[in-house]
Amino acid sequence: MDDERTQTQHDGPKLPRGWAPHPPERMLITPLVAGLGGLLAFFTVVFIVVWLPIHTFDPPASLDWTPLSDQAVKGRNLFAQNGCYVCHSGYSRPQDVRESLYFLYPKVSQPGDFFGSDQSPNLLGTERTGPDLSQESGWHPDDWQRAHFYDPRFVDPLSLMPPMKSLFSDTQIEQLITYVETRSGKSGLLRYAGQLYSKHVVTTNQGFPQPYTGFQGAHKPILEGNDKILNPPKNQLEEAPNLSQIDRGYWLSGDPLPVTEENLLRGKEVFLQRCVGCHGIAGDGKGPGAAFMSPSPADFTSADDACCGGDTGPGDFYYRILRGWPGTAMENFGERLSVDDIWRVVLFIKTIPNHTLRKNVVPEPKDYIVWQPSKELVAWLKTQQKLTDNAGFAKKQVTDPFMQEAMRVFPGLAPGDKFLLNDGKTPLSLDDAAAGIKAIYQDLLDRAWNEARTRGDKLPPEAQKAIPPTVPGQQ
Amino acid sequence: MAERTPEAGNAIGEAPAPLTERAARPSPFPDRAARHWILSAIFWLTVVDLFGLVLATEFVTPEAFGGISWLSFSRIRPSHVSGVILAWLTMMYFGALFYMLPRLIGTRGMWSERLGVWCAWLWNLMFLLGVIGLLTGHSQGREYGEFIWPIDILLLVIWLANIVNILATVSLRTIRPIYVSVWFFIASPIWLAVDYAIGNVIWRPGSIWGAPSGALEGSLSDAMLNWWYAHNLFGLWLTPMLIAITYYMVPRVTNTPLYSYTLSLISFWGMAFLYTGVGDHHILQSPTPSWLKTIAEVSSWALLIPVFAFTINILGTMKGNWEKFFTNLPLRFTLTAFFFYFLVNIQGAFEAIQPFNKLQHFTNFVVAHAHLALLGAFTILGMGVIDYIVAQVYARPLFSRTLTEWQYWLVTVGFTGFFSVLTLAGFQQGFSWAEGIPEVNVLPQLHAYYVARGIFGAMIVVSGIVQIVNVGMTIFTNTHERRRQETLRVAEAVAPPVSG
Repeated sequence: MDDERTQTQHDGPKLPRGWAPHPPERMLITPLVAGLGGLLAFFTVVFIVVWLPIHTFDPPASLDWTPLSDQAVKGRNLFAQNGCYVCHSGYSRPQDVRESLYFLYPKVSQPGDFFGSDQSPNLLGTERTGPDLSQESGWHPDDWQRAHFYDPRFVDPLSLMPPMKSLFSDTQIEQLITYVETRSGKSGLLRYAGQLYSKHVVTTNQGFPQPYTGFQGAHKPILEGNDKILNPPKNQLEEAPNLSQIDRGYWLSGDPLPVTEENLLRGKEVFLQRCVGCHGIAGDGKGPGAAFMSPSPADFTSADDACCGGDTGPGDFYYRILRGWPGTAMENFGERLSVDDIWRVVLFIKTIPNHTLRKNVVPEPKDYIVWQPSKELVAWLKTQQKLTDNAGFAKKQVTDPFMQEAMRVFPGLAPGDKFLLNDGKTPLSLDDAAAGIKAIYQDLLDRAWNEARTRGDKLPPEAQKAIPPTVPGQQ
Repeated sequence: MAERTPEAGNAIGEAPAPLTERAARPSPFPDRAARHWILSAIFWLTVVDLFGLVLATEFVTPEAFGGISWLSFSRIRPSHVSGVILAWLTMMYFGALFYMLPRLIGTRGMWSERLGVWCAWLWNLMFLLGVIGLLTGHSQGREYGEFIWPIDILLLVIWLANIVNILATVSLRTIRPIYVSVWFFIASPIWLAVDYAIGNVIWRPGSIWGAPSGALEGSLSDAMLNWWYAHNLFGLWLTPMLIAITYYMVPRVTNTPLYSYTLSLISFWGMAFLYTGVGDHHILQSPTPSWLKTIAEVSSWALLIPVFAFTINILGTMKGNWEKFFTNLPLRFTLTAFFFYFLVNIQGAFEAIQPFNKLQHFTNFVVAHAHLALLGAFTILGMGVIDYIVAQVYARPLFSRTLTEWQYWLVTVGFTGFFSVLTLAGFQQGFSWAEGIPEVNVLPQLHAYYVARGIFGAMIVVSGIVQIVNVGMTIFTNTHERRRQETLRVAEAVAPPVSG
């Protein structure tokens, strides 16, 4: 090795032209200068970038803002303590909001959305491995959330989220769900109210009990509907309440895509990627997530039942995949799948009774079961519900948010339609739905306000509470 | 210029360890505090690396540790981040500080080596308790400020004890003008103590054992404070210490006086004024005041002034010394870290402008950027500094140069690959999201990147383990004696002693 000590000392590097050597007696740094001077510089900047914004930036509550209920606050604390924010951000950015796309980010977060003292600590987040959750309320029912928390791949096989089954107790998971379902302000509460109301309608109509709470669904049998308590009204199509959740434009629509092997195979691929968590690897509705859900997922294996029965055409399937089925755990896939892929899944579903879901089986066009509308449906459409009466076709836009929400969850009802559910006594109409949704919404809002007041939280003037919700992102 | 300034060569009181079989000369410095902090740091490096490897595995197979709550991604991730900053880098930095400070100011050791040793043990205990809290769901839920309130207080007490130790040592100095590194050694711990106390809102303990605790009442105020604080962990502690240590290592190893005193003034005051206000660039897309975002953007770019001053200063010092980059391993680590440090600042400036921020915000591009700083710059520097200090403190060459070479190439190649795949993954996410593709649809496309990241990450873990082996063998075996015997054997084989 070179002996560094015997090397000739550097004379100092040559100075660039125009430079002068630094005068040694000037700007010497002593420990005092480094310590106190450094602190002075630090506090100067801290005054500008910390003290000033914190003491001058105090936006009032936005019109959409709501406080959290006690249960939701507990859920929020669990959300923070367990690090959920490392993958889920807590605000939607201007570039996230895409009009006419489905559901995920219906609005940009406003400063006033973060009003109040129940949103401390901040949960803005820095990374999005999963989706933003600031607008999540009401897109999924509670039973979907339970299955998803237990193991996210039960409902979304593509998900990378860690299973939460070992992290939370049954009580804690209900707190988390309350937080997620009520965190998005008034517009989120409105969606959640629609979700709760349609859950009531769907379970009543099909004779299902309420879903299991907590993580019990993982250890209990799949729930079954009770036909005995059902007493469908005479002179009413049995499928009418279900059809009321599908836009009439799709009721009689056929497949726009040809039944080819390519289309069917792609349909099978998408089905295996997205649908098997609930509908099962055999398409029998007995996927791992099924036991959490009420009503339980559809069974496609029977040629004359859910798959290919005479009342539910390809268009209905398309609409349910596109927009979801509020009240059931069926999600909307409108943003995640292309229009063509959704139709291909629809084509494929109608081959499932011919065992096309088996391993190494390529679905063939001969497996496809062609749909024929039943006589009852055709007759019903002639006498009772005309396709042209679709609420969405009305020239005058509805402005009442509760009616808008009722139309979102029951797009197939016309303003004049008055039916009974299949239990023979519960009424079903847009007016009933709007009133029911409004009552649930008001109850959720009142409870949150009262509990926030008891907690001693900072609240906006009472008038803010009375301002009706808006429906961002409605088509 | 150089000869009139406090000279690095004069200020540093000890020759580099000989690599020949010259008899070991015991170091005149006790270095007990330095040894405790450094050896703890080496241990924690592998622990936090393994946390990272668990995360990388969960990105590939999310069910991998599904049954174990404390290995859940959401709990390991804060532990990984806190561990890298507070356990590995902070312990390494204090170890280096306790080693370098006495040599720079002409004292024999710290004011109290015993206090330094106590602090090292307490710090280990503090981190252990904090991380057990995080893994069992006791967290404040504020990014980079997750430790619960009692841990925050314990941390600050130890930190203040270290500051007292440093200031008392400086007051005993025999070399009056203090060298650049010492400016940072004095200022940086003080900055961080204040930053940590304000950033963790320690005057609002709240529920103490978990959220809500240590946060401002208003959510957006809390967010602005949170990111101001989080970025200053880098700006006022990790980066100044990197600069201080580089200012020590390069002149010391090359035996060359520092290129320019003026430039080091710019780099010191530039840091103090410009780094403190950049934090808000983390939330440029959030509904917070625009003027604060503007300050953050401008500061992020102005930050290039002290960065370039530092860069020129180091390159000027290295002029004519580049052969040592290839022969001297600690210097190679230091300059590799210096190169990545330069890159991370350029990258950071671009990330802080709105149009580019819109694209890469929330994606893996940011994760890559964070690793460029914490892994590429700070960790690689730390590895080199530890190799250097261990050889000096134990007054013997490292056990094996081959192992050190392996350590260097594993971490450098591992990190470069890691950084590249995450940057690509970030672009994949950013462009896909901009087209309106939702997050979950992008996940399958990221799978290959995540697999590659896991493999590169494993190389980094192995690099840390190689260092543990190398340092351990250096301490527990006498390299001098082994080399002497080898040399004698060779000599005898070549020229057998003439028998009488």
